[in-house]
Amino acid sequence: MSNTMRKVCSPGAGETAAHTVAHKPLRRFSIVLRSIWRRGEGKFTLIVLALWLAVALVSLVWTPQSLWTTDGYHVWAKPSASHWLGTDGTGADVFSWLMAGSRTNLLIVVLTVALSAVWGLALVAAMVARTPALAGTSVVVVDALISIPTVLIALILAVPLGASIAVIVVACGFGYGLNLARVARPAALLAARSAYVESARANGASGRRVLVSHIIPNILPVLAVQLSLSAGTAVLAESGLTYLGIGVPSGVPSWGHSLATSVKLINVFPLTVLWPGLIVTVVVVALNVFGDVLRDAVDPVANPALRQAVAQSAGAADNATTNPSAAPVARNTGVSEIAEDDGEGAER
Amino acid sequence: MRFVVRRLLLFVAALFGLSVVVFAALRILPGDVASIMAGVNAPPEKAAQLREQLGLNRPLVIQYLDWMGALLHGDFGTSILTGRSVTSLVASRASITFPLIILGLLIALAIGLPLGCAAVLARSARVRAAFHVLAIIGGAVPALWSGLLLILLFGKGTGLVGILPSQGFPMDGWTTPGRALLALILPALSVGIIVGASLMRYTRSALGDLADSGYIDMARSCGMTRTQAVLRVGLRLATPQLVSVIGLTFASMITGVMVIENLFALPGIGNGLVTDVGNRDLIAVQSELFLLAAFFLGVGLVVDVLHRILDPRLKSADTVSEVAA
Repeated sequence: MSNTMRKVCSPGAGETAAHTVAHKPLRRFSIVLRSIWRRGEGKFTLIVLALWLAVALVSLVWTPQSLWTTDGYHVWAKPSASHWLGTDGTGADVFSWLMAGSRTNLLIVVLTVALSAVWGLALVAAMVARTPALAGTSVVVVDALISIPTVLIALILAVPLGASIAVIVVACGFGYGLNLARVARPAALLAARSAYVESARANGASGRRVLVSHIIPNILPVLAVQLSLSAGTAVLAESGLTYLGIGVPSGVPSWGHSLATSVKLINVFPLTVLWPGLIVTVVVVALNVFGDVLRDAVDPVANPALRQAVAQSAGAADNATTNPSAAPVARNTGVSEIAEDDGEGAER
Repeated sequence: MRFVVRRLLLFVAALFGLSVVVFAALRILPGDVASIMAGVNAPPEKAAQLREQLGLNRPLVIQYLDWMGALLHGDFGTSILTGRSVTSLVASRASITFPLIILGLLIALAIGLPLGCAAVLARSARVRAAFHVLAIIGGAVPALWSGLLLILLFGKGTGLVGILPSQGFPMDGWTTPGRALLALILPALSVGIIVGASLMRYTRSALGDLADSGYIDMARSCGMTRTQAVLRVGLRLATPQLVSVIGLTFASMITGVMVIENLFALPGIGNGLVTDVGNRDLIAVQSELFLLAAFFLGVGLVVDVLHRILDPRLKSADTVSEVAA
């Protein structure tokens, strides 16, 4: 995988500067991917995530048994050559449902991460806004809302919506966005009050431009960790909410559905219980570890290869030069800022 | 003192905000209680009559004020479907959930604290890595699965060593404490293992940060060994942070044990709430959600105040900033 990426993405040395800039995102992506792959735990996460994606795609066109074949004569069947993990109460194939579940979970995770990123970044932008009233209010609101557990939000949503994927996505995206905002605030605040943002503003940069080209790059490491954690927690939340009947509706394959089915299979063939839970655990481990390796890989301070690439493109680009050189400073002081902020948080 | 007052004001404001949110969220539902109670095939007149009876067709503001007024008098309403008062419903459920989460938290502490300390104290990198892996895996296990595995291992009837009951709670409740406690062991273990893993991570990161700090160097230069310094000085310094985490964990366990209560067929708070949501038992759900949210906010308040008491540094930092201002 990384080999093909290298061929496609790294431009030759003799290419023009304009060309390099055009390829910048792709090139950085390949550098990040390669530095993840270089580490043992990085390999593990990439393999697990790639397998997940592959199984999800394959399940769209092929599963060992059709999901909707129900066989009244083989209800609660034990594992056999045709039903690798047995059948459930309607005679449907447990293995096929488990396989198809991966696509639903993938969808939920992608939507949840996207929602929490957008919502979290909007909150970050509000929290570091230059209007004191807006910044102050948003900090208080986030502090107040963050103590409500995701399950409660899901329950409130489930009253009007019933069991649906939207319940999981909205509840999790909302809750994790709050977490993201709270964790990312110190670093974002530091960037927002920095000299380079000041100078960008003096040059007429809009609020959105400051957010995109100065604040987000500074909180990228935090974003990487938080969003990966959100992804893992969303998978866990799906299994819990679906089991409780307020998540993925019955009749739609998902890992939570498979786990709930395996509860009923415990008296028939106990070992069936192992598989869905094992898959969820492995995927969540991979997602959580992915956050850590991704943080190191997207941080120009921790990743020399990326630093070089950033420095090169910064030489070509205009005013982005201030950013990478300021990044180490911002990162180091960011730690003490977080510690101070804990004190403040308790004070409120 | 000023801090406590400010914190209390915020608590009241948040409580009020939450009551509005809960109330509003439950009024936008499409299928209302009256039509569900009347039954699927009932004529619409019956539903209308019920709606009238329950006061569901009054203006929303009046309904809200009515509910709030009753709440302030300690009246949480009556469950429409069962006819029992919400207070007695919640009390009977809490008599299962609270023992369960306290037991679970004790198990989690017994697992998390020692392992977290050991992870910091371990000298060999390999042992530290093993602890790291353990913490990560523990945090990735779905609660449902840990419960299922424990049933497979110890549950009566299904288990390899079938010694513990895995379904239900004795009908006579806590009048037979032995049986009641026995019914809670497996559920508490399944929660305790998962929460223990997260407590282990917190302990390790709190202690680990301190282990590299000047405090520990100071203690060691006074003649303590590293182990002594981390356990005596480090743990005391980490206490405020750990107490906060443990308090918030305790609060979140109330809803966190929902799945476990369901799996082990325990009629606890979480399980009951899910049932009421399924039944669209509006009054009950509304008051239960409010009580839960109030509980979370209350624990948050207590934790913040405790944090202040345990960490005098915050107070002095405050005075300094006030003087500066």
